[in-house]
Amino acid sequence: MSDDFPSLLRSEQMSLVQLFVPTEVAHDTVAELGELGNVQFKDLNPNVNPFQRSFVGEIRRIDEMSRRVRFFSTQIQQEKDVIPIRPLYDSAPLIAVGPRAAQTMDELDVTLSAHEQRLTQMNESYQKLSERTKELIEARHVLRETAVFFDKVQDHQTTIRTSFDDSSAPLLQHDDRENQYSAGNGAQFDLEFVAGTIERVRVPTFERVLWRVLRGNLYMNHTDIVEPFVDPVTGAETRKNVFIIFAHGDALLAKIRKVAESMGATLYPIDANADKRSESLREVEGRLEDLQNVLYNTGSSRRTELVKIGENLKSWQDVVRKEKLIYETLNLFNYDVRRKTLIAEGWVPTRDITTIQLALRHATEESGTSIPPILHELRTQKTPPTFNRTNKFTEGFQTIMDSYGVASYQEVNPGLFAVITFPFLFAVMFGDIGHGFIIFVAALYMILAERKLARMVLDEIMSQFFYGRYIILLMGLFSMYTGLMYNDIFSKSLHIWHSAWDFPTNGTDNKLVGVDSGHRYPFGLDPGWHGADNNLVFVNSYKMKMSVVLGVIHMTFALCLQFPNHLKFKRPIDIYANFIPQMIFLQSIFGYLVVCILYKWSVDWSKASTQPPSLLNMLISMFLSPGNVDRSEQLYAGQPFVQVVLLLLAAICVPWLLVTKPYLAWKDMHKIKKQGYVSIAGDGDGNRIHRDSSDEVLEGEEEGNGAEDGDDGEHEQHDFGEVVIHQVIHTIEFCLGCISHTASYLRLWALSLAHAQLSEVLWSMTLEAWLEPTGVFDWIVLIVMGVFWFALTVFILCIMEGLSAFLHALRLHWVEANSKHFEGGGYAFTPLTFANPDFKE
Amino acid sequence: MEALLFNVDGGFLEGTVRGYKAGILTQSHYTNLTQCESLEDLRTQLSATDYGNFLANEPLPISTATIADNATQILVDQFKYLRNNAVEPLSKFLDYVTYAYMIDNVILLITGTLHERDTHELIERCHPLGVFESMPALCVASNVEELYQSVLVETPLAPYFRDCLSASDLDDLNIEIIRNTVYKAYLEDFYAYCGSIGGPTADVMQRILSFEADRRTVNITINSFNTELSKEERAKLFPAIGRLFPEGNNQLAKADEIDQVRAVCENVGEYRQFFADAGSSANGSGDEDSGTLSQLEDRFFQTEVHLNKMAFLQQFQYGVFYAYMKLKEQEIRNITWIAECIAQNAKDRIQDFIPIF
Repeated sequence: MSDDFPSLLRSEQMSLVQLFVPTEVAHDTVAELGELGNVQFKDLNPNVNPFQRSFVGEIRRIDEMSRRVRFFSTQIQQEKDVIPIRPLYDSAPLIAVGPRAAQTMDELDVTLSAHEQRLTQMNESYQKLSERTKELIEARHVLRETAVFFDKVQDHQTTIRTSFDDSSAPLLQHDDRENQYSAGNGAQFDLEFVAGTIERVRVPTFERVLWRVLRGNLYMNHTDIVEPFVDPVTGAETRKNVFIIFAHGDALLAKIRKVAESMGATLYPIDANADKRSESLREVEGRLEDLQNVLYNTGSSRRTELVKIGENLKSWQDVVRKEKLIYETLNLFNYDVRRKTLIAEGWVPTRDITTIQLALRHATEESGTSIPPILHELRTQKTPPTFNRTNKFTEGFQTIMDSYGVASYQEVNPGLFAVITFPFLFAVMFGDIGHGFIIFVAALYMILAERKLARMVLDEIMSQFFYGRYIILLMGLFSMYTGLMYNDIFSKSLHIWHSAWDFPTNGTDNKLVGVDSGHRYPFGLDPGWHGADNNLVFVNSYKMKMSVVLGVIHMTFALCLQFPNHLKFKRPIDIYANFIPQMIFLQSIFGYLVVCILYKWSVDWSKASTQPPSLLNMLISMFLSPGNVDRSEQLYAGQPFVQVVLLLLAAICVPWLLVTKPYLAWKDMHKIKKQGYVSIAGDGDGNRIHRDSSDEVLEGEEEGNGAEDGDDGEHEQHDFGEVVIHQVIHTIEFCLGCISHTASYLRLWALSLAHAQLSEVLWSMTLEAWLEPTGVFDWIVLIVMGVFWFALTVFILCIMEGLSAFLHALRLHWVEANSKHFEGGGYAFTPLTFANPDFKE
Repeated sequence: MEALLFNVDGGFLEGTVRGYKAGILTQSHYTNLTQCESLEDLRTQLSATDYGNFLANEPLPISTATIADNATQILVDQFKYLRNNAVEPLSKFLDYVTYAYMIDNVILLITGTLHERDTHELIERCHPLGVFESMPALCVASNVEELYQSVLVETPLAPYFRDCLSASDLDDLNIEIIRNTVYKAYLEDFYAYCGSIGGPTADVMQRILSFEADRRTVNITINSFNTELSKEERAKLFPAIGRLFPEGNNQLAKADEIDQVRAVCENVGEYRQFFADAGSSANGSGDEDSGTLSQLEDRFFQTEVHLNKMAFLQQFQYGVFYAYMKLKEQEIRNITWIAECIAQNAKDRIQDFIPIF
């Protein structure tokens, strides 16, 4: 099947290859293959502990390096002024392959640890300094705030005095008084105090505890410090309060100090004397200034260091990431007996083997040795991974299908057909020239600015739209086409050609009646319908029937995709037992309905002798009273007979579908048993050789079944019961599914109707009334309304409605179409690759 | 009934905790861990489990304490997540779980203060789940009365401390008595609370708490041999719940040597094996006695693990939360033990941990 061009019809043919890599080129080989990105290595020693593998030491070293790099990047991120990080494509690449690789890594290791050491040192000293600064700032605050306390006390001096009349000692000393009684007033000064700072959240607890410990014998005052303190390392803010506590007696003061310290408060020695206070304030200010100078210098040299790191950070990150991947891959390899060669196994796309071999040779040359790694293909029974080669256009469509399920190996890939069917079904629901044009332009912009946008870091939602830009482009194009069919542009009609309907004005009546002018509107819906009273009746009937027609065509097509699968996997039995009865069943009921719809459209009922029959009733009565069709509702002559035949055909298909396959499987099993063979698990080869030789004499069915077993390859013994149950479920699912899925396609009509109505409502409620401006005011309103209308058009009609139509198109593909043929039992191809932008260290 | 309504409030958290439980290390993990050559190996090995890269940002060399701290931190974070999402009565239940840590912290602080250790160092050593706001102020108190009046009165522990206000001054023995009295009160209260929740929670939790009480009773008895603690005082420390209560407790209160303890334990089927093969060595000298005791301790831990595992067999009850905490603690002890053995190169004893699953 494989030809020169990768096709989306089937997944790539894969080969299992074995690589013998001499130890000395192993690293470079893996690096080269990682750059190439098309080998999926298998774990050859799954039973070995992660730390018992061969390259644990290297991985550990890389881990340490990546920890350092992470440390740098967090340090840089925490810096308030943004430090430039040179992007990867600008920095000189660090070459970690070739003969000098080990040296490069050693150098990098040394550089990293040197940087780390310097940075930690600077951080430490910076932290120490800022700690001291913080203390000094706090001290300054305490000095200032306590001064306020003292001043307040001085103001209230008299009141305090009166309240303490019985006390022999004054409550507080204030500066004036102290100055007056200069020397001998130590005896009077028996109310001592403790001052300091404490975190604001702890203040209430602190107060409570103190109150209890001292049994209320204290006077506490506190005020907030306005500005927060910022921790230099974590960047966390703490808010603190200045407190001052007056108490009596040494024991109590000691207790206060102890409590305060254990609660995390910082105490500062404050003198009661105002002069001394201002003196220490001056001193504190002076020291603070010095410290801040030093702090600034330390900070700027730290910044220089970080800037230097920032220049190389990205390339370091890149190298470290790659090295880690390389060694993790090497850990999957096996050593040969003499431990000179590494053995690797992996899946590769068959067509890429030559490229890989070139890469291997290149790696050998790079590393400067003469022994090239050897690659040879293995024959295997294992199912290869599924790999659909995509380009940037098909990638999005393939992803849509892959997120439903990864196709089995070499099965017909629905992703290919989705390229057209998906935008088309979307457009049926979204049909509007204007809206289609808007999303088309948006997608076109994303595609033209692709390079620029790909480099930018987009947020989650935008990057999703960007990823699906080609899908959106096609959706826009198709929507413009269906919009032309519906003759809808922002809910208005286009009069490209002359309408088939004339509306002659007869002065007597307000009602205008269209008169057929004899010629036909050449393309799409006649604009004459627009605004007509029976517009909705006409459009509904038209769109409903159209969606059934489209649905049956889509399902029939999906059903047909079974056929190449059965051919490819050599199981003709499935063609007879599954494909043909299913096709007959579907066509005899719903294919017939489609034919009837088309026939009914082609008849001119105004000239026919009977009334146009209701097709829905026709279909129902085809089941309920087979063979009877009312004369007045007859669509064509001989209708009862045709319907009975079709019904019988459909009825035959059910047991056919239900019984054939299990019966053939049973017969096959019986035949093998009769020949005296007993199935032993795992004896696959012998069994199959016999079967191959007897194939000639067996009938086609058995041959197919035997081949299927062989293809399966996993030595799976098909249980007969399993086949029966599977087929029963399959039959029920298909027959019921046909009915419900056809009904499900009516969503095409419903969404298209909703979309058209919504855009019409939006038009009539915003713009319509202001379209003929007469004065300045009207013009302003028109412009405002125009902007409003456009914004709503984009957000509600294009984005919201678009998403909902997208969702329904998705469902129609996943459920209605895929259930007809898709097996989806594969597993995706995940090659070793360095090009993974999502990977973040 | 609880099957009908439990999930309204507790379903999410029960699911969460069962998910956490699925991450508890299994026997094969332990086999891998015990094969490690160095703590870095241990780190690599643990990073493949639910612990993830909890040590990834620690600079080398790693110390055992760092491993234990980080592991505990994970547990604490999980617990806080559960606690923050819980509503009554689960939130109260989870609070009860923290009280045990609070008691431990209080005792730690008092003992530390008594021996004049640095307060900050002590506070760092406290279990993060048992931290309460006014805790640091404990170190000012010099007697129980003061302790109670100044700090504990506003904590949830206040009712438990009310019973031991009589002990006037703080010394080592008194602190031990306080610890046991408080713990007794706590256990009884918790037991009663679980009973008030009723249903399977009561079944599961009361089984676990009964065992806890019995374990304390036996430990108190054995530890009080040859001390100045009188027999009446000893009897007061026994929790009034558990499977040994009341006759077993009465007999233990009068016991003078370890054989009597064994005789009491033999009355309960599950406890019979605690002393099962210790019989021969019990008559010997003190050295062997301590061997018996450490063996006994291990057996206790094993039974506890078993009971906690049983808690997971029943749905629609809060026991799983308690059990998870206990199992995880045991796991952290195991990891620490293994790490210690690796760090000190004592490979021969590395198997002496208590496997959980």
